[in-house]
Amino acid sequence: MQTKLHHQQQRVELFSDVMLKIRQSLQVEDILQTTVTAAQQILQADRVLIYHVLPNRTGKTISEVVLPEYPTLMHLEFAEEVLPEHYHQLYAQGRVRAIADVHDPAAGLADCLVEFINQFDIKAKLIVPIVQTLNVHSLGSSPHNSQDDSQHISQGKSKKNSLTHNHLWGLLIAHQCRSTRHWVEFDLRLMQQLANQIGMALSHAQLLEQWEELMNTRTAELTEINHNLQQEINARMHAEAALHRGNEFISVISHELRTPLTSLHSALKLLATGRLGHLSATGQQMLAIADESTERLVRLVNNVLDLQRIESGNLVIERQMCHAATLITHAVESMQATAQQSEITLVTQPDDISIWADPDYILQVLTNLLSNAIKFSSPGGKVWLIVTRCDSSPTLPHASVPEIVFRVRDEGQGIPTDQLERIFERFQQVNAADRKKGGTGLGLSICRTIIEQHGGKIWAESTPGNGSTFTFTLPAQVRAGHTSNQQC
Amino acid sequence: MPTKRILIIDDEETIQTVVQFGIKMSAGWDVLTAGSGAQGIQIAQLEKPDVILLDVMMNDMDGIATFKALQAHAKTGQIPVIFLTAKAQTGEKRQFNDLGVSGVITKPFNSLNLPEQIAHILHWVTF
Repeated sequence: MQTKLHHQQQRVELFSDVMLKIRQSLQVEDILQTTVTAAQQILQADRVLIYHVLPNRTGKTISEVVLPEYPTLMHLEFAEEVLPEHYHQLYAQGRVRAIADVHDPAAGLADCLVEFINQFDIKAKLIVPIVQTLNVHSLGSSPHNSQDDSQHISQGKSKKNSLTHNHLWGLLIAHQCRSTRHWVEFDLRLMQQLANQIGMALSHAQLLEQWEELMNTRTAELTEINHNLQQEINARMHAEAALHRGNEFISVISHELRTPLTSLHSALKLLATGRLGHLSATGQQMLAIADESTERLVRLVNNVLDLQRIESGNLVIERQMCHAATLITHAVESMQATAQQSEITLVTQPDDISIWADPDYILQVLTNLLSNAIKFSSPGGKVWLIVTRCDSSPTLPHASVPEIVFRVRDEGQGIPTDQLERIFERFQQVNAADRKKGGTGLGLSICRTIIEQHGGKIWAESTPGNGSTFTFTLPAQVRAGHTSNQQC
Repeated sequence: MPTKRILIIDDEETIQTVVQFGIKMSAGWDVLTAGSGAQGIQIAQLEKPDVILLDVMMNDMDGIATFKALQAHAKTGQIPVIFLTAKAQTGEKRQFNDLGVSGVITKPFNSLNLPEQIAHILHWVTF
């Protein structure tokens, strides 16, 4: 009794060791070898082997531990007949086969099997199926009604469209060769547990394989995405660098132009005073041409730099509190000389209204509008520059946002209705005569950008032959927490 | 009131010339010229002009360095300086103002207008 208990104890310990070993290893070969070794030790069987069933129903021994006096069955291939269909089904369902004496007719072994058994001197067998429970993902096909599954399972063929499916992977077999053996409950349970462990380990191994494949695929995908992103980044960096170079180029050129332009502009103006010597009539004509042309160049250079800033998103509006009256006065002052030359009278009404805007840019807009008005007026005419505060916005009649409204009105030739919008586009001029008057075609589009950056609107109204009115609005409210810088 | 005296520091000779003639012709003021920052500092210390027109972009000693040197000297520290520059944006102007420059005149300009612009910047009552 003592010995029996001791043996039991040993077995239990061995068994725990085996389980631990199995769980620790992920290598299927290791697990199989450990299992057969442990089974042999615990059961004291003469041979323990693992038989792997192949898809074509043949199979072979892939793991074995056998006492030296008995032959090995390793790598021996077995024909289909060894595992008849109905046995296959039974095993797939988990049935254990314990044969105490192979020669006992009650065991019901097939004749050919008995022959084989005699060859190898096997007297008793214990066969436990190793079953894998597979699910649809491992077979990669569409789900099925679970009711169908029970039918499919019993067929034993691995139907590729079952939800879960018991697949007979192989057999864990213990042989007793030296004698017959009555396999006890413990033996059966041990073998079953080992077989289960193998089943699980196989599933794990498979899962791991699938995981690794997934990992690899995912890694490959990510690598490609990464590569593409990198290329895109490079492309964008190149584009940005090119743009930057382009901008810098324009900046430098425009800068370089300004110094000789200053000399040219000033020198011609000095000559034009007449105080540096008398010129013939033709000489004066030539001088006038040179002078006008230089003025156009000056305006163009100024406009180009503005435009370049706008295009590259570098137009920085810095708003501050300023007085509409001051801006109007400045604008008029700077246009006074030009107005006088064209015999135009500038009329203003500098109301003391505060605005929240970038004074330099608003001044630029005002001078531009005044310049246009003067240009297109006939001698002796008037140009008005007026500012008012509107509490109901002329642009948003339903909004209650108060606006400051600037208007420049002239009595000149007017603008055809179909041109009223187009003139705000770049390089648009009303007609050829406009270009003769020295326009660059850039001024109004720049004005529009500036006004829109301030949150306002600019537009023109006109009656051909009866003058035009250019109006722009600026929002009157200073929103709380509004930053004073706004990059466009 | 004695005639105003202007010092123009610019490494472009043509600019020196047109500025000289323009200011003389329109306001009758005296104009001294210098072709470099170093030369300009020397003349300023000697002549003590009423205002200095200083080109920002010069090759050897640029406008900003020249300005700082002028500010540092006791003899020239009080003389108002106006930058001549191609840059006109508000941000850049503010940079110059932060330095302590009295004002900025942008290129291209008409030198005949300079006396008026200078008077405006420095709040001189002349005209």
